[in-house]
Amino acid sequence: MDFFLKDIEHGAPITWDFLINDINNSLTYNPYCKSDNYYHVFKHIITSLIIGKEIILLDSDFTDSELVNLTGFSEYEEFTQLIDKGSFSLLRDKVELIEKLRNTCDDWKITLFTSGTTGIPKKVTHNFNSITRFVKISERNTNSIWGFAYNPTHMAGIQVFFQALLNGNAIVRLFGLTPNEIHSEINENDITHISATPTFYRLLLPCENTFQTVERITSGGEKFNEKTILQLKDIFPNAKITNVYASTEAGTLFASENDVFSIRPEYEHLIRVDNGELLIHSSLMGSSDINIKEWYNTGDLIEIITKKPLKFRFISRKSDMINVGGYKVNPLEVEETILTLSGIKNVRVYSKSNSVLGNIICCEVVCDNNQISESSIRTFLQSKIQEFKIPRIIRFVDELSTTRTGKIKRN
Amino acid sequence: MDNKMEVKILEIMNTVLDNRTKKKLTVLSPEMHLRNDIGFDSLDLAELTVRIEAEYDIDIFEDGIVNTVSEIFEKLNSK
Repeated sequence: MDFFLKDIEHGAPITWDFLINDINNSLTYNPYCKSDNYYHVFKHIITSLIIGKEIILLDSDFTDSELVNLTGFSEYEEFTQLIDKGSFSLLRDKVELIEKLRNTCDDWKITLFTSGTTGIPKKVTHNFNSITRFVKISERNTNSIWGFAYNPTHMAGIQVFFQALLNGNAIVRLFGLTPNEIHSEINENDITHISATPTFYRLLLPCENTFQTVERITSGGEKFNEKTILQLKDIFPNAKITNVYASTEAGTLFASENDVFSIRPEYEHLIRVDNGELLIHSSLMGSSDINIKEWYNTGDLIEIITKKPLKFRFISRKSDMINVGGYKVNPLEVEETILTLSGIKNVRVYSKSNSVLGNIICCEVVCDNNQISESSIRTFLQSKIQEFKIPRIIRFVDELSTTRTGKIKRN
Repeated sequence: MDNKMEVKILEIMNTVLDNRTKKKLTVLSPEMHLRNDIGFDSLDLAELTVRIEAEYDIDIFEDGIVNTVSEIFEKLNSK
């Protein structure tokens, strides 16, 4: 299976030759990338690497007002520039492309956005070394076929993309497909590696099939319960199952085979624990518009199991961020957005634990007139924030209850 | 299948579909697949379970994901 990308929405697999021709024939480049087409996003990233220019990844479902908040613009046409064809020789084949990508210049940068802790998502920029720190290039990986199960403009997706790309592996899109489609894509393409959130795996269950070709299952972003792991072992009998800890700021940092994480000895001096909270040294981080001192507070509370070598377990998060199926939602951002709708006097956004997504976003609103309905709030939010941030349960109350994590009263 | 319950579940499903401006259902049949036929995604399934729990006090996805309409009724009738 030597293709670059298979996306069921586009039919036949896209070959490496097609990609190389497409890049060779590109005359213009725009640093801003906002597309829901996986091939466009991937080709855009590769082009930026080849020409050594910054790329700024925007989620395809960012609304215009989110774009203005994040970048100052909602249209990016004016940033299109001509590619200086004189400075680049045409790519001959896949081998030359991969070789060139592995030697990307120091000036290249990638910027993405993460749910900030202060209200608005924040910008995080990585260079080639920091984004590929945990990419493993080896002979053993040459024939891997990746099931791509993340949003391509998010950190986890980018890391899978680079792991596959720099090893010259085929990528098969699984994200956003129905369980039936996912099952047949795994079978038809002999997928060997899948990296996804626990929610993605939970939605594959129950499943009567077994997938013999899959060698490695990786998961991260939320807590994985033992029951799901056992069910996955039945479906993927030949797979090694690994948990990873990663963040947009730092990328992948730790991996474990159960819920006990350890860190490679060479990175041990770069993490610290303060009052139970995990701190990461600034040298492991991408640069951000928020000032990071020498140590960055992750907001993740951990329990140390052994000090030498360092082994630990994640307990919970210190901050108010809500994890919805691996997507982090800042309740303050949602509250601030709802408050901009006229007629809303007060609002509280909170989470309720949920058997499908881990958590679900709910809110209580206090209105000062009767014009506001659940659907008018929803329609308003659909133009302002991404779908996964919109409260799924909206309650109208006379005054707000006192706890952010309170349970929903039944009528 | 209990007619009253069927009407209620249809109403709940349509609320969830309507919230995402997806096409509403006119009828509900037992063999319908929640994701493949009705078109629920994970956000919708999460909302569905909360709304059903609020009505019947049963978390239909507690022991793993259910796939079809008839499996929902089995869960609700078994407790």
